[in-house]
Amino acid sequence: MCTVGGGPDLGEVETLAAKDYECQECNNKFQGMGRRPTCPSCKSRNVKAV
Amino acid sequence: MPFLQIQECQGGLRVNYEVKLKVDCNCKVCKGMHIRLLDDEIAYLEGLSGTIALAKTRGISFFLETETREIVLFTEPEDLIVASSFGVGEKVRRGLACTLYQLRELEAPLIVLPKGHPASPRLKTVVSIGPCTHLSCKIQPGTHPEQNVLCGSEEFHELEVVAEPGGAEIRGKAQGIALDSDRIVIEKL
Repeated sequence: MCTVGGGPDLGEVETLAAKDYECQECNNKFQGMGRRPTCPSCKSRNVKAV
Repeated sequence: MPFLQIQECQGGLRVNYEVKLKVDCNCKVCKGMHIRLLDDEIAYLEGLSGTIALAKTRGISFFLETETREIVLFTEPEDLIVASSFGVGEKVRRGLACTLYQLRELEAPLIVLPKGHPASPRLKTVVSIGPCTHLSCKIQPGTHPEQNVLCGSEEFHELEVVAEPGGAEIRGKAQGIALDSDRIVIEKL
């Protein structure tokens, strides 16, 4: 992604294809993208796309 | 580098050998420049008017914060954070290291400015995160939403920075400069 300075200016960031996930360990819900989904709260990889 | 596999029987056991062939190959893959990069290192590639810095992500997640959403960007341990700046010299290298350090070591979130925000032209560094980054001088900084395109100075146009185990490979031909190890500086991040 193209970002700028201390904070990025992605322009059309809202169009990025992020998926909704739920952590099966701590029930945290989050949006993410990439090949190795990991819960940002508890770092568990036991997450499920919802 | 091509490999030739040879099978040989030794005392009834079949042994496989891999022999590296020394051949002159002009394909893009073989002509790439390989950079060995440890997890705690940063590599700088300095051009005429721009500098690129790269480091391993170590598999951490990065956070993109918009006004209404948070998007978590997952990475593999061998993926790269690539930062580009339009400038050369010690000051620019320190700025790039600072950007990579904040993102990776402090896990600083990336605050996404709305499109057309007046601060955008003032910002000096662009960042790409993932297994492969295509550099282009023909996009406006901060306006390209594709994940693997990063704006860079003219001499780096159409170069690719590709993650590989234990390092990175720079593929393609730099414009007006020789792409060799003299242009690479590796330091601790």
